Amino acid sequence: MKLVWKLLRQHVSVPQLLGFFLANLLGMLIVLLSLQFYQDVRPVFSQEDGFIKPEYLIVSKRISAVGALSSSTTSTFSESDIQDLRSQPFCKGIGGFVASQYKVACSLGIKGVAQFGTEMFFESVPDEYVDADVKQWTFDPEHPMVPIILPRTYLAIYNFGFAQSQSLPKISEGVIGLVDMTIVMRGNGQEQHIEGRVIGFSTRLNTILVPQSFIRWSNEKFAPEADTSPTRLIVEVYNPTDDAIVKYMNEHGYELEDDKLDAGKITYFLKIVSAIVMCVGLLISILSFYILMLSIYLLVQKNTEKLRNLLLIGYSPARVSLPYQLLTLCVNAAVFVISLVALYFIRQYYMQMIWAMFPQMDEAPMWPAILLGITLFLIVTVLNAVAVRNRVISIWKNKE
Amino acid sequence: METIKLLDTLPSVFEKRDDLTSEVWHHNVLIQRSQHVLIEANSGAGKSSLLSYIIGYRQDYFGRILFDDHDIRSFHVSDWVQVRQHNLSLLFQDLRLFPELTALENVEIKNNLTGFKPRKQIVEWFDALGIGDKLDAKVAHMSFGQQQRVAMIRALVQPFDFLLLDEPISHLDEMNSRVMCDIMLQEVHSQGAGVIVTSIGKHMTLPYDKTYSL
Repeated sequence: MKLVWKLLRQHVSVPQLLGFFLANLLGMLIVLLSLQFYQDVRPVFSQEDGFIKPEYLIVSKRISAVGALSSSTTSTFSESDIQDLRSQPFCKGIGGFVASQYKVACSLGIKGVAQFGTEMFFESVPDEYVDADVKQWTFDPEHPMVPIILPRTYLAIYNFGFAQSQSLPKISEGVIGLVDMTIVMRGNGQEQHIEGRVIGFSTRLNTILVPQSFIRWSNEKFAPEADTSPTRLIVEVYNPTDDAIVKYMNEHGYELEDDKLDAGKITYFLKIVSAIVMCVGLLISILSFYILMLSIYLLVQKNTEKLRNLLLIGYSPARVSLPYQLLTLCVNAAVFVISLVALYFIRQYYMQMIWAMFPQMDEAPMWPAILLGITLFLIVTVLNAVAVRNRVISIWKNKE
Repeated sequence: METIKLLDTLPSVFEKRDDLTSEVWHHNVLIQRSQHVLIEANSGAGKSSLLSYIIGYRQDYFGRILFDDHDIRSFHVSDWVQVRQHNLSLLFQDLRLFPELTALENVEIKNNLTGFKPRKQIVEWFDALGIGDKLDAKVAHMSFGQQQRVAMIRALVQPFDFLLLDEPISHLDEMNSRVMCDIMLQEVHSQGAGVIVTSIGKHMTLPYDKTYSL
């Protein structure tokens, strides 16, 4: 084998091999990176909302400039509005958002150290519309402790707006249990301190959600006279993509709160961009493969006489092909390994940025990219091996 | 492999010729293992073609060639690899050595296939043929006569039933060709093999069983 290699390595062009190596490395890296990046970034856009099912729509009245200046009653739903909506064929069920009618202040802290306080409000929807653990989603006036669901945007506001500028620790969803929340409620000449606990985040609800029983109890206690007409409704529909829904909402000047659509669009564009980048990578890979094939053909051409003589003295085509097949195998393997290593470090770099923005995000696995890399590696190597073998066989048949 | 049979064989290029006076072409020829056969020919009579057909390098002939009653046209690549490694050894007229390799490497590259001869034996042959000092010399730097001796040694480092020699001594002096003959005959006898020698004039002095005029 050593002698055969000594013979056949004549005319092996290092610049050509290097050219293939670099081009294929670039192509492979782009392909793997586009896949990995897509995998890593996609969860940002497609986070499932655990608390509000997709077939629940949130409806509010459109606030016009005139309405905003006049009384607030125009933005609430009357009983007849609700009845009309309930009678629509797409409507399966309906529930109102009930807001707190008293003053609420809240201070947030971590491990007993108060960090910041704010005035706020609460809202509730009927409990059957909240997909939370029943044991967590209750309120008992005897042991007052309020479970709260916050909009996910609040977490981002805290992490980027507040924590960043105040050098406070960032909070991920996983450690939200560490956050202490003290709520002060005032109204009707009374004041009460109560402990709150954030049990989760929702991307679909732009409100601070508490159990219905808590709102009922607290409104009675602190604002017994206030009007509790809902300003927003939660509507359960049979099919959220039904055209009739949008038509009805437009006719009545209602608005749907839905960020799902935007996330869907972004995911779609992310897919397209990733696919384009991947195609560019594949194209580079194919071109580099072409370079390698030309290089090998040239090599075999230049060494035709040697190959023929080896065959004539008893070497099999397989054995004569082997050195060139091993050569391409080694080059391809090096390309594969180096592109994986490069992928790993590039990923480390951009994942730091992504995690800084979305600390709660789960890490996507690397195995799809590794699998794709192995597939590319195998395809290129097998095609190379077959090409070399075919060239040697054509020498055997005296066609060269 | 016990026999080589030529049945009405004729090179394709001779198809139109009607002036052939050959004892081989268009005849049935049987060569048996352990026979020593001389094929004499003028240049252009097709002797290298004949050896090319037998070694499976070319198929541009009419008629049939049989090894032990097997038509060699039906041989697969693997059959030919087997034949070239274990049944037939050919000393090519144009030698087909590798000029990039040394004399010893040229022999080793063949010997490595079957590991048939120990290094010691090979070196002894080099010494006996007067090229012991050329073991590590590149073949490209050797004379044709020296290369012919290297090619002969390469032809001997494998098991064979027939040894085919295409003008083996064209560039050798009397003494060297006699030494080469002795070494070759010794190996042929120890393997119980046959020899087919071609020549256009100057030929090896052997106890030939048959002589054909091509």
